Amino acid sequence: MAKVRTHDPEGNELLQEMTNLQWGLQFVKLKIQEMIFNGRKTDQCGVIIFGSDKTRNILSKGGYDRVEEYIPIAQPNAGTLAKLDALEPSGEAGDPLDGLIVAIHTQDVHLGSKRTWTRKVVLVTDGENPIEVEDLQQTIKKINELEIGVTIVGIDFDDDDEFPYEEEDKTHIKAENESFYARLVEELNNGVLGTCALALRETMRPDIKLTKSTLMGTTLRLGDPDSRPEEAMEINIKTSKCTALNRPKSWKKFGVREKPTREDKAKNKDADEEMEVDEPEEEGDSKKVTFVQLKMRTEYYVDRRDHNSDDEGDVKMEEPEKEPEIEEDGEEAPTNKLDPALEQVDKEELIRGFKYGTTYVPCPDGQFGRLPTKKGIEICGFFLAKNFRRELCLGEVQYVWGDPSQPEQEVAISSIAQAMYEKDAMAIARWVSKDGMDAKMGVLAPCIADGVDCLLWVGMPFADDVRKYTFASLDKLISKKGEVLAEHAYIPNEKQLEAMDNFVDAMDLMDAGEKDEEGNRGPWFDPLQSYNPAIHRIKQAQFHAAVVSDLTNNPLPPPHPELLKYFEPPRRVLKRARDAIEECKTEFKVKQVPKKVARARKDGHVHARDDDGDMLLLDMKPPTRTQSVSQSPSKIDVTVTASPSGKGKAVEPNNSDTEDSDDDMPAAKPKPSTPPAKKNSHSHNPLPTPARSLSPEIDPARAPGRIIGVTRPLADFKANIARGDMVSKAVEDLGAVITEIVLRPFANRRNTELMECLETLRDTCLKEDEIDAWNTFIKDLRDKCAFEPGNPQFWGEVKKAGRKLSLISDKEAEENGGASSISESKAEKVRL
Amino acid sequence: MPPYDDWNKIDEDEDDELQDASHLESKKDVILFCIDCSESMLELREDPTNADAQTCHAYVALESAMQIQKKKVIVGPSDAVGILLFNTTRKAETSRNQGSEIKKNCFVYQPIAPLSAPKIQELIQLLDAFREDPGELRKNFPPLSDGKRVAMGDVFTSCNWVLRDGAPKTASKRVFLITDEDNPHSGTGNKQLVTSARTTLIDLTQAGVGVEPFFISTPEKPFDVSKFYSSVLLPNNLVDEDDVDPDDPSVLPESISISRIEDLLDQMRFHEVPKRAQFSIPFELANGLSIGVKGYGLVAEQKKGAYKYFVDLGERMEIATVRTTYVDEDRQAEIEKPKMVFGMDVGAAGDDNDESGTRVVKPGQRPFYTAEDIRSFRTLGREPGLKLLGFKDRSELRFEDNIKHSQFIYPDETTYAGSKRTFSALLKSMIKKKKMGLVLSLTRRNASPVFCALLPQEERVDEAGWTDPAGFHLIPLPFADDIRAAPVEKGCRASESVKDAARAWIDKLSVKNGAYPPDSYPNPALAFHNAQLQATAFGEEFDIDSFEDLTAPKVDMIHKRAGKLLEAWKIAVANDENALSVPVEKAEKAKGTKRKADADVSEAEIRSRYSEGNLKKLTVEQLKTFLKSKGQQSSGKKADLLERVEEYLTSN
Repeated sequence: MAKVRTHDPEGNELLQEMTNLQWGLQFVKLKIQEMIFNGRKTDQCGVIIFGSDKTRNILSKGGYDRVEEYIPIAQPNAGTLAKLDALEPSGEAGDPLDGLIVAIHTQDVHLGSKRTWTRKVVLVTDGENPIEVEDLQQTIKKINELEIGVTIVGIDFDDDDEFPYEEEDKTHIKAENESFYARLVEELNNGVLGTCALALRETMRPDIKLTKSTLMGTTLRLGDPDSRPEEAMEINIKTSKCTALNRPKSWKKFGVREKPTREDKAKNKDADEEMEVDEPEEEGDSKKVTFVQLKMRTEYYVDRRDHNSDDEGDVKMEEPEKEPEIEEDGEEAPTNKLDPALEQVDKEELIRGFKYGTTYVPCPDGQFGRLPTKKGIEICGFFLAKNFRRELCLGEVQYVWGDPSQPEQEVAISSIAQAMYEKDAMAIARWVSKDGMDAKMGVLAPCIADGVDCLLWVGMPFADDVRKYTFASLDKLISKKGEVLAEHAYIPNEKQLEAMDNFVDAMDLMDAGEKDEEGNRGPWFDPLQSYNPAIHRIKQAQFHAAVVSDLTNNPLPPPHPELLKYFEPPRRVLKRARDAIEECKTEFKVKQVPKKVARARKDGHVHARDDDGDMLLLDMKPPTRTQSVSQSPSKIDVTVTASPSGKGKAVEPNNSDTEDSDDDMPAAKPKPSTPPAKKNSHSHNPLPTPARSLSPEIDPARAPGRIIGVTRPLADFKANIARGDMVSKAVEDLGAVITEIVLRPFANRRNTELMECLETLRDTCLKEDEIDAWNTFIKDLRDKCAFEPGNPQFWGEVKKAGRKLSLISDKEAEENGGASSISESKAEKVRL
Repeated sequence: MPPYDDWNKIDEDEDDELQDASHLESKKDVILFCIDCSESMLELREDPTNADAQTCHAYVALESAMQIQKKKVIVGPSDAVGILLFNTTRKAETSRNQGSEIKKNCFVYQPIAPLSAPKIQELIQLLDAFREDPGELRKNFPPLSDGKRVAMGDVFTSCNWVLRDGAPKTASKRVFLITDEDNPHSGTGNKQLVTSARTTLIDLTQAGVGVEPFFISTPEKPFDVSKFYSSVLLPNNLVDEDDVDPDDPSVLPESISISRIEDLLDQMRFHEVPKRAQFSIPFELANGLSIGVKGYGLVAEQKKGAYKYFVDLGERMEIATVRTTYVDEDRQAEIEKPKMVFGMDVGAAGDDNDESGTRVVKPGQRPFYTAEDIRSFRTLGREPGLKLLGFKDRSELRFEDNIKHSQFIYPDETTYAGSKRTFSALLKSMIKKKKMGLVLSLTRRNASPVFCALLPQEERVDEAGWTDPAGFHLIPLPFADDIRAAPVEKGCRASESVKDAARAWIDKLSVKNGAYPPDSYPNPALAFHNAQLQATAFGEEFDIDSFEDLTAPKVDMIHKRAGKLLEAWKIAVANDENALSVPVEKAEKAKGTKRKADADVSEAEIRSRYSEGNLKKLTVEQLKTFLKSKGQQSSGKKADLLERVEEYLTSN
């Protein structure tokens, strides 16, 4: 077992060298891990090793040397695995039969009176040691008597069935032993022999944990048994789950336990003299890292400050919005950063209640009185199955059986099921699971099986549960003139329809499954064969992590192929559909739209410049967009990614894939070269270079987020306006750029250019209905020019220009189809 | 369900999928009702529901607004609502003034503010006052006289200002425009007013506000969109910028409701919840052929609101912020999220393990996974998207293959140009061939892949004017892991005659062309809860008797139609030869547990014993079983049981 291996039997190189012992122990640990995973008190195991350098077992008085009872039989835990990890190969030879006999006895003694327990022995060996076959027949007899299942896992044993493998240069003794084991298994009533590699693979095969649904008793009613018992129906029924959503086993959270700091130690020393004695041990300990399982703790905080109810809602609402995004991204974010004004309160001080808008409604019980209901399923009426809307079904499906202990009840259900089946009808049925529980509406459908008739129930939505959203018609496009359009880019034409028909035919799965006995192919895909990949993959990962101590050197092997078998369409179907697919590609000409630029809000740049808090909001969701924004992926998009905020909460724009936004299209994926935007301290800082270099066409003088640069503002602006998109953004940016230039030293060199900019800007504002933007901007410019570091001289120039650069009045606005809150006289009078 | 304490602290890892779109739901919604208060809106007319009363359009509009408020306050307690009236000469009192002044002849009745009981009550009082005195609304909001009307441009601008002042930045904002005037600018200067209306509307949409018009049409005054609004309204409300094609603005917005005044509330209800997509992902039809789709939740269980914790601060109640942390319990040290690693339970605490729940490794070793690893296990390394696997017959989708509610998908032209035509062609082809699709679906980054049936839905308009939209339903299929075996494999079956007897009453109780009608079944438990919540908030007494459970079966109707047939069927069941000849071993097998084998005695035997007069020889167990099987009470002493059995046998 000490032989070191570098490859697995399939010839793949192992990431880490391991001994045959370690290789074989993997299987043992996985088996034990499964017991830990299932956590049953009735799953116990122990470990006997043979070829040990010690002799310690219950039979050691009568021979059986070098056999050690290494781990006594008990319910296993992580310690069991750790102990196995500590095993080292010895130089001693061990006799597997000795080990087997000790195992049988140890097990028998342990189980003593527990006759009903299932007994299993797994023998792991490389088959390189001589075997003493003296008492063989007696042992076999004993094994069969005790009904022990014996599994022999041989390291690098030959296998030609499921796992074709043949070891080269096999030693003579091993070949002999392999055939001995084969004969042994033959003679056992319940014996299996397999090669270790196959055994390892099979432990990863997805298996279904069979859950037997319990039968719950209730009553199926029709009519009113209280007032008209002779006419009313009451059937004793049992219900049981037909489908039940299964989830992956949860992960436990761990953290590294912090070492006590020097000060702590010092403190301890003062307090406790004995600590000094422990010191050497501590030293030894410090070379290890301790991971500790974390426990959840809930804390309650209250903000005692007086504030108006208006923004209270705001503050509250942000939390749930942010949480999932951070969660999803795993971005480094300061967790749960607390507002210092919050004060922790005891749970005992809290009162339960509901919010009715901003009104507080006390409800100390946590719920109001319930509607009185009576346990049972009540039938409300019947309808034809063809009118059933399958997509409305809410959740898990239940079986409804006539009470199996009461034939009459079974007959009653059977007669209803048969009659409904014959009529092809379903029933509307209201289910109350317990007296006083909330009623659920649902539908009963007949189910005629081989030996029994029953009903199936599935929950259906209440009026409250159905959302009625409006969607534009796909076929009926009406022009503004009220005409129905027959041709449009949204409506497929004849050729396209034909291409799609061919595609649908070619991709048919009804004859793509496995052949049955008669050689006919059935449909491909069966829910009964489809494993939940997440459940089994996570289980595999959990097992793996429990049995290896370092995931970097020993990463998780790929998922079992069985998990992925339905992830791709069957190959023969794809082959058949090749032409149809090509035809569809040519006909439909679907093109990915370059990622749209998020349009910053009108006052966006204000936030971008100074307010970190608001920047956060901007980061999270670019709040408004327009229909006309379509621009090559660059600029603003990049800004949003990179805009840091003082709080360091960099949230990538593409993480909101559940938002109603376009943020999450592949085009928006952060390029691998882009480092996640992190701790830039100020939003004015340049972008992280990789992101910038992605779009080299950006005018270097454009500040992040702006579409107008300071180098050639007018040209930039005109180009934008000519394209007709992002007018508001252009207006706002030009304003910002002008202000920026004006406040710079030596701005007067560019006075002519700036005046020109202003005139164009005002003109555009007037025509493009950005009047408010202009009026706000020009007032702002005045203020900025007046104060330090201002530019009163430039403002003088503006004033000289007169009406050309004044506020836009309502009269002017109206002439241009806009609106302004500034009256004509005011505009004329106010020289700003 | 009463929210247990434990349910409130959802462990975010395991329940990512459970939470689904919960953070979407938490997004605030703001509605500004913008109601026309012109002469025609205030004109009194007969109330169709109450012959003695009078009503007017403005009243109905305000009442609908009130109903929507009542609904919203419960569904989204943080949502905000406001009411703006136009075409009225009422001027704002200074006390109520907003940050910005508002256009003339527009009046802010309720500024945008979070919903609250007093706010709703104020509106209810106004409506009550109108019912007392139909002149009340006119008195409160005198209409512009002489057929004068305020320019729609001014109305939109006012809306913009009101929303700007009152609505939180991140909320979804909508204006519900209610008017009966299809041509507000009929006079001179028409053209300019149209332009100004359009530009102010663009302004509004650019501020992130959607306008949803509700036009009132009456026989005397039908509403013609083409007179004014079709040239003003934008191709779409931009809250959801689905369908904007910059090259072709010729298509009308998808939601214009022109309705009779009676249907106004229903129409508003359709729009009550803002349309929000739950995901926007690519749909790969084949390698190299992908289109864009958006997913919407059309069915989702609406639950009672969870209670919150409050702290009594004396003068007010303040909501407590709940914070969940993870700690190393022995050391009472909090571990921050980024530092957490994941593994599995270390198993039952061993005796030799003095510090349970720990794992010690050498430095540099990594025995646990990172959050990133965990996610890749869940998604199997896939990116969000739908992937078509092929097509199957529609009949392959069985009733029992259900595990979770469905979602609805609709093409998204903004991510892939050509999505609509491709989607449309696929839909048509599948409907024609009666096929469903099989797709592998991963809708969100932290979900896990599931197989779904893709069920095509044809566009259809029903009598109520509601349109079933064209699109696909995405129905999650159960995995093998989710399917439970049937615990009963053999059972007594009914004979032909009993089946026919059942068929008789089933026929009588079938609704012709009926289906499951979700709209007729408001959730009684939810309504009961909300009614009490509202009563408490309003400071009223909750009147339990006024509450009606609409889901309760109509028993009188059932008895009237099928009572006699049911009686006949019951006799048939009781005399069914299969039921009478109880195979003993069957009874034993059915419940192979501790129950005595002789507990079951067939009805025939009991009847014969009854006629022979030796019922007393039966055991208590047998009597109980029999009574239970007849739906009778099975408690009490043997004498009581005997009496009850005799009673039953005489009456049946």
